[in-house]
Amino acid sequence: MEPSDFGRFSDPALLILASLAGGEKHGYAMMEDIEAMSGVHLGPGTLYGALARLEQSGLIQALPADERRRPYQLTAQGKAFLRQSLASLKNFVSMGLMRLGA
Amino acid sequence: MRLDRVRPWLTSLYPRAWRERYAVEFDMLLEQCLHSPLDVVDVFLGALDAHLQLLSGENLSWRLMNMQNKLRTTLLMVFAAFIGFIVAGFSLVGMADDSPMIPLMKTNPALAAAWTTIQIGSAVALLAVVVGGIPLALTVVQGALAGGRRGRGLLLVPVVSFLVLVLYLVFLFLVGSGRIQIEGVVKVVGPGAFPAGNRLMMEGLMLVFILGAIASTLAVWKAVSAADSEQETFHAFGRALNVKIYSFAFVPAVIATISMLVMLLATLAWGWLSFSALPQVFAGNFGPWGTSTQIWYIGILVVMAACSGGAVFGLRRGRPRRSQ
Repeated sequence: MEPSDFGRFSDPALLILASLAGGEKHGYAMMEDIEAMSGVHLGPGTLYGALARLEQSGLIQALPADERRRPYQLTAQGKAFLRQSLASLKNFVSMGLMRLGA
Repeated sequence: MRLDRVRPWLTSLYPRAWRERYAVEFDMLLEQCLHSPLDVVDVFLGALDAHLQLLSGENLSWRLMNMQNKLRTTLLMVFAAFIGFIVAGFSLVGMADDSPMIPLMKTNPALAAAWTTIQIGSAVALLAVVVGGIPLALTVVQGALAGGRRGRGLLLVPVVSFLVLVLYLVFLFLVGSGRIQIEGVVKVVGPGAFPAGNRLMMEGLMLVFILGAIASTLAVWKAVSAADSEQETFHAFGRALNVKIYSFAFVPAVIATISMLVMLLATLAWGWLSFSALPQVFAGNFGPWGTSTQIWYIGILVVMAACSGGAVFGLRRGRPRRSQ
């Protein structure tokens, strides 16, 4: 699976995975964490569009609901996917910085 | 723009299958994060995306996960229908009690057979609901005890309703036996001694029973709806049993529904036979409630038919999803 498989949700999906790498979270906690981590504000429609796809792909899984909130956590497959995606990004960043002579 | 006003409407933009899976948590999120019109636009786009996904015919997880919710709703519909049927059934017993129908049933075999069918049907339906509901009830109780105060509060509703009913019965007994004196209520010395005050107290019993049944059904519905597990492991006789609690309860739900339909037909036959044998049987105000009237009987039939219909509708709604 590639990040591009998520279409317009590929960036939100990666942000969600990175947020869940820090521990299980429900929707609002993810939004706040992502905003604090990357400065990106994910709208509720985008967040749940990406969450549904990630769950469908088996990269995250829903945990039992806490009242009306439902936390999610990374699966082993999700961790591997995130690791691979971040390694690709790292190469990309290194390459870009090298070309800029930084 | 008053975003609070549009919030409840926003979730309804999503496809039904999506809502069954995500609506509760999504509503909660919107309560917390809907700050600007841009968020509303984002929800619009999200809903559009969900509809497009549905049209694309993808094998979506939320569509499959929806099956569990459908099956659970089916079971809850059958359970609620059964409770409604019980209320109607007790009304039927109250109607026949102390009336000329009782001696009539001893001499009329067809009438007796119809009444026996109702009794057997009620026993089978009760047994089916109890057997099918045990794994689900255990799961819900475990979840509620381990969960928050709200879950435990929901479980207390049937217990409190039952206690209120018992207390009312004790109160009735004390009044009926003359240990407590109330103006307008007389000591019950035999069948038929039911002046207006006594009947009012008996109607109070019916009210307590019906309100308790409604409150308990709603509480059970809420508690079961909040349960997440589809599969549970139970330990009995040193063995671990894996039970798919909703699938397990489906066959008993079918049996309970068939029993309700049989009882409905038997009640119809019983009323018809009673009226044919003794037309004045519906004309008098017999029994503790004084409800041996045609209107009351038709009301019982309507409630029984509505409950049976609701159960059949629930089963039809859940069956195709179960086989997917």
